[in-house]
Amino acid sequence: MKDDYLWDGSGEPDPEVQKLEEALGRYRQNQPAPKFDEITQTHKAKRPRNFFNWRWEYQLSAVAASLLLAVTVFLFMRQRSRGNPGPSWDVVRLEGAPRVGWHSLGEKSGPGKLGIGQTLVTDSTSRASITLDETGRVEVDPGSRLRLVTNGPGRKRLSLERGTIHAVIWAPPGQFVVDTPSAVAVDLGCIYTLHVDDSGTGLLRTTMGWVGFKLNGHESFIPAGAICQTRPRIGPGTPYFESASESFRSALSRFDFESHTPAERNALLGILLVDARKDDALTLWHLLSRVSDADRPVVYDRLASLAAPPAGVTREGILRLDRSMLDAWWNALGFGDIYLWRTYERDWSQPSRNAK
Amino acid sequence: MERQAVIALPAGESREEDSLVSAARNGDRAAFGCLYDRYARMVHGILLARVPPREVDDLVQEVFLLALRQLHGLREVSRFGAWLGTITRNRANDYFRKTIPDEKVTEPVDENHAESRTTNSTADQEAAMILGVVRGLPEAYREPLILRLVEGMTGPEIAARTGLTHGSVRVNLYRGMQMLREKLAESAKGASLA
Repeated sequence: MKDDYLWDGSGEPDPEVQKLEEALGRYRQNQPAPKFDEITQTHKAKRPRNFFNWRWEYQLSAVAASLLLAVTVFLFMRQRSRGNPGPSWDVVRLEGAPRVGWHSLGEKSGPGKLGIGQTLVTDSTSRASITLDETGRVEVDPGSRLRLVTNGPGRKRLSLERGTIHAVIWAPPGQFVVDTPSAVAVDLGCIYTLHVDDSGTGLLRTTMGWVGFKLNGHESFIPAGAICQTRPRIGPGTPYFESASESFRSALSRFDFESHTPAERNALLGILLVDARKDDALTLWHLLSRVSDADRPVVYDRLASLAAPPAGVTREGILRLDRSMLDAWWNALGFGDIYLWRTYERDWSQPSRNAK
Repeated sequence: MERQAVIALPAGESREEDSLVSAARNGDRAAFGCLYDRYARMVHGILLARVPPREVDDLVQEVFLLALRQLHGLREVSRFGAWLGTITRNRANDYFRKTIPDEKVTEPVDENHAESRTTNSTADQEAAMILGVVRGLPEAYREPLILRLVEGMTGPEIAARTGLTHGSVRVNLYRGMQMLREKLAESAKGASLA
């Protein structure tokens, strides 16, 4: 079959695919591997050799010098690690006069530094950006308060107390986290915007990649093009695509954050199931673990009609919320590999004690 | 002429690969070089789906150097491919963000802006046009299509390398190919009218 040819190159060749392969093959990767082994060899060449052929006075001196050096380095590193847990973020003024601690960044002042425990504040007329070379860049809109909580290797944590940030993260997934008053946002490789208002209500909008949002066991995954609200004491709501219908979005917001009678809840769930489009499989997958045991079968049936469960995922397994089956179905939806979340969320699942 | 299946991953390869990742994580640069050989096409393809072709080779090197520095943070060696893919997409996103205004970030790249390494022949120009059309497809389709049509990876190999399921790769390949056919037909029709 021609489809087999597209899949694995077997079967009857599809002339159109062959033509495309031929045309596009010129862009194929053809760079040889950098000499990673030479780097190792260079280090090996620098190692002292023939130590055991030295005279014993030299051997003793070398050992003593090494010990002295080791102790000095140990003490130095210990002191350094206590005083400086990681590099500071560079702060650049974009507009107005943003403040870092008591220091105001004016038009003529150079870039500032954001250290652990320090807060970047922008008033209604100022904007700033903060950058850390190996992690990413965060632009801070007017009317925001952003604090650096931790900054260790592989662990960068900010706290957005209010306002709006636009994050572009190139660090590996799971290393950059933002606390808000109502959820923890864990970067899983993306560009996103996070807004927190004065009441602590949050809104996360992902532009590229995806973000995990979690509080008190409630978790939401927000892929590109999707939005998720979060409320204090409740945590993240159910994510949805911006293109969803108005009635769908309205029903979802009421379903997530308002109190209602069982009859009202059933009515809201009915709207969600009827209005759901193929893309709204994102929302229905999340609802599987948020509805009651009695409601789960109808959510399963509707989701299965929009996006068939992959092999190995059964109705019974999903109805008893088998995590591996839920994960497999999520992966089949194509929004991102849930392994990343399961691997990294353990470290970040609760807000920092330092975060307000 | 009937072509044979390009590459089928041997059953023992994943175990061998786990060993390579473990060795690389322990500082074995030669093992990391082997991982480069296995994953360079995936990284190259993911980047080509997102950034201008002239930038791709340099970014491939950057991605592997970043991965080398961060490899100690990888907890499950069996997920090296998915982890590396995410680093690659992050790096591409950063490039995208720096060079294109915010409001344009989610828009597909216009085919007229697609570049080629050389555009001095009709074949080169045609290839650049096709690549531009592929890069204008939705994100879910352009990556598997580029890995298949440009890098010569098979569907099973794409799934194995990226950590995605066979099902999602297969669906995205077929739907993407269907959409690509339609777009190319539209382009051809537009060209003939002009």
